[in-house]
Order: sequence, then structure tokens, then C-alpha cells
Amino acid sequence: MKKQYLLLLISAVLLISFNACKDETTGYKTLIITGQNNHNWKASSPVLKQILDETGMFSSEILITPDKGGDMKTFNPDFSKYKLVVIDYNGDSWSDKTNASFMEYVSNGGGVVIYHAADNSFPKWKEYNEMTGLGGWGDRNQKDGPYVYYKNNVMVIDTTSGIGGTHGKRREYIVTARIVDHPITKGLPVRWLHGNDELYSLLRGPAKNMQILATAFADSAAGGGTMRDEPVLMTINYGKGRIFHTAMGHADEGGGPAMQCVGFITTLQRGAEWAVTGNVTQAVPYDFPSAAGVVLRTDFKQMTLEEAIANMGTYDIAKSTKNLTYLQNQIRKLAGDEQGLLNLEKMMNKALVSRESTVEAKKLLLRELSWMGSEYSVPAIKNLLSNADLKDEAEFALVRLLAK
Amino acid sequence: MADKSSRRDFVKRSAAVVAGAIVLPQIIPSSAFGMGRRIAPSDRIVIGSIGTGSQGMSNMHDFLKLKNAVQFVAVCDVDSNRLAKAKETVDLANKNNNCRTYGDYREFLEKEKLDAVSLALPDHWHGIIYTETANKKFNIYGEKPICRTIHDGQTIVNAVKKNNIIWQTGSWQRSEANFRRGAELAINGRVGKLKYIEVGLPDGGKGIGTPPVMAVPPELNWEMWLGPALKVPYRGVSHWDWRWILDYSGGQLTDWAGHHIDIANWGAGLEHTGPVEISGTGVYPVEGIFNVPVEYDFLCKYANGIEMRVANAARLPLGMGTTWHGDLGWVHVDRGNVISASDPRILEEKIGENEIQLYKSDNHWQNFVDCVRSGKPAIAPVEVAYRAISVALLGEIAMTTGQTIKWDPDKEEIIGNPRASRMLSRPYRQPWTLPTV
Repeated sequence: MKKQYLLLLISAVLLISFNACKDETTGYKTLIITGQNNHNWKASSPVLKQILDETGMFSSEILITPDKGGDMKTFNPDFSKYKLVVIDYNGDSWSDKTNASFMEYVSNGGGVVIYHAADNSFPKWKEYNEMTGLGGWGDRNQKDGPYVYYKNNVMVIDTTSGIGGTHGKRREYIVTARIVDHPITKGLPVRWLHGNDELYSLLRGPAKNMQILATAFADSAAGGGTMRDEPVLMTINYGKGRIFHTAMGHADEGGGPAMQCVGFITTLQRGAEWAVTGNVTQAVPYDFPSAAGVVLRTDFKQMTLEEAIANMGTYDIAKSTKNLTYLQNQIRKLAGDEQGLLNLEKMMNKALVSRESTVEAKKLLLRELSWMGSEYSVPAIKNLLSNADLKDEAEFALVRLLAK
Repeated sequence: MADKSSRRDFVKRSAAVVAGAIVLPQIIPSSAFGMGRRIAPSDRIVIGSIGTGSQGMSNMHDFLKLKNAVQFVAVCDVDSNRLAKAKETVDLANKNNNCRTYGDYREFLEKEKLDAVSLALPDHWHGIIYTETANKKFNIYGEKPICRTIHDGQTIVNAVKKNNIIWQTGSWQRSEANFRRGAELAINGRVGKLKYIEVGLPDGGKGIGTPPVMAVPPELNWEMWLGPALKVPYRGVSHWDWRWILDYSGGQLTDWAGHHIDIANWGAGLEHTGPVEISGTGVYPVEGIFNVPVEYDFLCKYANGIEMRVANAARLPLGMGTTWHGDLGWVHVDRGNVISASDPRILEEKIGENEIQLYKSDNHWQNFVDCVRSGKPAIAPVEVAYRAISVALLGEIAMTTGQTIKWDPDKEEIIGNPRASRMLSRPYRQPWTLPTV
């Protein structure tokens, strides 16, 4: 009994110290504001939290405003407690006091993420529109500022009259980086295919201190297309504050393809870090999409090396080639690190000799080992020469590995 | 042994045909009358075609457009539908039904006696078929890129040189006025001393995921199509789309190296050398069987200090094409007769008689025919083609390994990197081997 009690005590102490540690160091305190939206905020806000917390860099909480028509005076968060405020809100005006407090927070250097329909919100709040740079709907028109977009690779600031905000049919679309050396976009593909989403178009606003990081072409074939390259990722400076504005991410139940898209996830994570620090330290993930196709993370998690190798054995090309992509990415990352490459080679050998591994997996491992492997792999590969299914690939690998 | 005797028989049969030329419609190549004899301007080149897909047929049509230049007599393809179409085109042009067809290039090369062969095949086949065709001493119009690996390229270059044949690469931009003009302005210093070259090639496109394994269509000899490449089940990808799979191609990068990198080398005097250092990054598809880089961006440094950046168009300010930057300005060329400069006066510059006059051709296919007749080198010779694709292949190795690659352009070796060196060649699946020269 005594012993059990002691164990319990130790665990309790550990738990407390762990929690204390977490509070202090696990991440930038982040407030996600939601509760009113013409979009499914009950689906989007937990996903935003998960995406941000997944980095280990943010520790976020969701704050739900009063319902539409409710008493907004009761909504009065202490923004100063946070490093980052994420707006997933499109609804009733906040109180003047709350507005003033938010403006003060941003002016003093607070980070902000404007997410999707949050750029529809507060059409009459001038400072908020300066923070979003561009917005749509809510009777926005020429009085609210110019349209800003790209045409033939040139940025256009267009003051013609007309409504602000529209979108064609939901679709997958190519996102094209317009600034490639910004901390948020640096190292990412210049073109990538985004998961099925709305493409906000005809956005207009003050566009002060705004940079367009990326656009997407609104082709007419998809319905409602403006034939312009419409801004989808923006940064805005307001006072000392930094705002990251993503017009993407229309939420379905569970997030849906627009939020599960690794492009959306990664740019949100990087944009959020930039909004807080002005810099980005996160590595580009191996599964960031390219123009070749949409890549979704249905669980919003990135595969680890251990998972990739563990799954390698059951690799089934017909299901997914992600494991292989991860492995190749890992080999490139280890370039020049002899010990690291040997460790990886040993893991690959394990999968190569395992009875559990599929023929498909072994073929792919042999192809990679043919150039990145060493003497270490030679005995295991020689054993496969007698295997009718793997003879060609084993020979291929040996010829390369043993070449002088 | 059996092969040898059948070859002797064939030569005898040919002799008999010559004797009985009045009664038989057999076309005898002019160059068959003895090595060293060139073809009279009035004689048509007797030509055959291996690979009758889109590019092979495009070349055939370009040859047939020329006046009294060529006579096609034989075609070869692993797809019987394509083969039948090619024969139809040839027979229509010849107004007869005599075009011979082959499903196996070995039989084609064994039986045919020709002045020239037009070759347009997936890149993984170039090493073997280009070399064997050169070893038969047939003059070659060969599609770019001339090789899938550096080692294949070296072998092809040696075979062409040793057999002393005329070679023309399908780098037809050389025979377009704007590309030649741009290169001539650059090489004669009209942008000042050359410092930096930008080469923009197409962005990669959308993949197809991983289609299911399916029955090989009856017209396609899949085993022969794969040839020296590792065996994979048929998933509906062969013609054209082979260029998005690393086993057969390096994607847009290697597909276009023989155009804009070749032009860059031409205007920079880098045609007979290569970079000394290559580094860069690629973006690879995450999912699916198309696995070539869809974005690529690498920098090559040359011994003389010039740098060349090769990237997909979306990454470059001027997009597609070649731009030579010197210390006084730049000149840019691209398809669609595009030529522009930092200062329009550069484009008005005359090139003097004592300056470098680049080889002039205004029809790439006619140039090949003319050279087969005259014995003079064509505008896109084999070593030049090898040097153009080497840039892309070294870039590919730098991107795959994630390392800066040191290259000795004289010895044609990677320095101090055994892993990268392994990618200079690719083992062939048995029973295929790269022929000796």
C-alpha cells in the first residue's frame, strides 16, 4: 500500500511539473476566435487548433463568441495574454471596447491570422479592413478600396467600380507563389495544386502595407471565373503587428479537402509562426504538394521516419507512394552525413530481409539502395538473387554497388 | 553464327537485286556502293525510321516535305498500330506498297541497307539503339535528349565518331533564325563579357496517381518497349507519358535540355565542355507513378567563371527560353520567334566578317540531308548534344542526392562522390547490354 501511494505521489508530482513545463514552454499562446460565421465554424475551429498545436510551437485555445444577435458586450477577451489571434469569425460587430483592445494588441506587435471568411467580416470597421488588406461581400465595393490581383504576371491595382467578393464553383486549383523569398514561402514549390476549395475572387480593400505571397487563377471554365490570378495568401503589417491572411480553407465536416490539403496546413503553420516572430523555422514537409497533385493529411499529422520505414514493409503502390517519397526525402536530407545514411541503410535492410515486407516494397528499397547503399547491404542483396520476383532489382543494385 | 550467315546471304541477295534492278522495285541506297563515296545531290537519301510515335512521325513528315530529298523504305515500332500507320504514310508518299515493317529493331538493322535512319524512341532505349545504328554505319537523325545517363551518352558519342557517320540531333531550334541570332550576339560579346545564363524549361504538370495494372493492348510489345529498363506491370502508360517516369526520362528537364540548354551552350561557347560544379533542388510528386521532378532549379558553375541557372519557367523572371547576361546587358530567346534584349539597340548590332559566324541552317531536316550528301558535319552534332543533356543529367544527380556535385568536364567524371557517381550509369536488365563500340 505504502509503495503504491509513493508511486502515485511521484506520478502526481511528475504530472504537475510536466504541466507547468508545458504552460511555460510548449508554445505561443494562441487564441482562436469563432462562434459566428456563414461557414461551418464548429468544423473549422477545432481543425485550426489541431493544425497549429501539431507544430508543437503553438498552444491554442478556442474562444466562442455569443451567438448572432447576442450581447456582444460580454465578449471582451484579454488579447494581451496571447502571441497570436486567429480569426475564424464572420458575424456581429464586437463592442467598441473590444475593437479598441484588439487594435491595441495588433499595433503593439501581436500576431494575427485571418482565415477564409474572416475577410468577409466587419465591413464597416476601417482598421480591421486595414488588417485584412482585402475583403469581400458585406456590400463591399469601390468605396472600400481597389481590387488587387495579378494579370499576365503583373500585379494590378484596379479602382474600377463593382462588388467586392465572389467565388466560382469549388474546385482544385494551382496556387502560384508571387514572392518566393518571403520566410513563409521560401523553399516551398512555386506551384502547387490545392485541395477542393472556394477560390475567393474580386476581393477589394485598402491593401495598405500588404504583400501578396500567392495567387490562383480563376478560370472561367470553373464558373464565376474572373480570368484573373486572385490573391490567396497575403501578409499585412499594421503598426508593429504582423497579419497572415489565408483566403483558403473552406471547411466541411472534419475539415474537408480544403483544410486537409498539406499546402493549406503548411502555409497556415508557417504564416502563424511568421505572424508571431517575423520568421519561419519550420522545415518544409516531405509531403508538400506540387503541381503534380493534391496531397491531403486526413488526420492533420505528418508521418515520422519510424512510421515511414515501419509502413515501408507493407508498401502498396496502388494505395499510396507516400512512404517512398518520405524515404527519398530523408536520403536527400542526410546528404553528406555518413553515419546518418548508414543508420538509414540499416533500417532499410531490416525491411528488405523481413518476411513481412511486400515484393513491391523490396523492389523499391533495392532501387534506392543501388545508389545510396554501401557494402553493408551487399550480403542481403546477394541473398535475393535467387528470388525470381526480385532477381532483376537485386542485380541492378549489385551492379551499381560493386562497380569500381 | 546463324546471324552471320544470314547477313552474308543478305549481302548476296542485295547484289542480285542490283543486277536485276530493272525488274525489282528495290531501292538501293547510294552510299551502299562503297564507303567514302558520298551521295550525289540529285540522289535521294534512302532512309528508315525506328520509332514511329508522335515525334518519329513528325520527323518523317518534315523529311517528306523536302523536295527530292529522301525516300523512306522501312519502318520499325513495337506498336503494330503505329507501324501500320507509318507504312501507310510511306507508301502514300512512294505511291507503292513496298515499305518494309519491323517489330524488332535488331531485325531492321540486320536486314536493311540504308543511307540514314531517323530515330525517335523513349530515352531509356537510346543507349543501345543509337549505338547499334551507328555501328551499322548508318547516318543518324536522332531525337534529343540523346541519352538517359551520362555513360550511355559517352558510348553513343564514341560510336558516332568511330564509325565516322553524319549525326543530326533533333535540336531543331538551331535552325531557327532568332535562336541563331541570339546565340551569335552573345558569343560575339554584344551583351559584354558573359557572366550568367538563365535557362527556363517547362513547369511540370499534373500526375495520374497510380492506375491499376491492366492487360497490355494486343498491338503493343510491352516486353520490348521496356527493353533494358526494369520490368514493371503495365498500367496504361507507354507512349508519350513515359517522359514523366524516371525509369525512361527525366521529365521536362531532360526533354527540353536539348533545346534551351543546347542553345545556351551555343551562344556561350560551352558546347564542348561542361560545368565544374552543380547544385540545386527539385520538387518531386508525393503520390503516383509519375515521379519526375515537377519543379527544378539548379546552378552550374563553369571553369571560366560563367554560371548557368536551369529552372522550371515559373521560377524565372523571363520564364521559358534562354537568356545570356553579360556585363553590358542581356539577350533573351524563346520559341515563337522571340528575341529581346535589355537594350533594343543590341538587336540592331551587325556581326562583322572577322567575328564568330555561327553555323547557319534554315531547315533542320534539309541540313541533315545536305550533310549526308556532302559529308560535312550537321548543325547539331553528337558531342554537342551530349554536352547539352549532361547539364540536365548532372542537375538531376545533384537534386536526387541533395549534394553539390563536382564534375570534371575533361575526364567526364564526378569527383569524390561515389554515391553520385553510381548514377552516371544505369545497369541494364538482362539480356540487354550496351553494345561495345
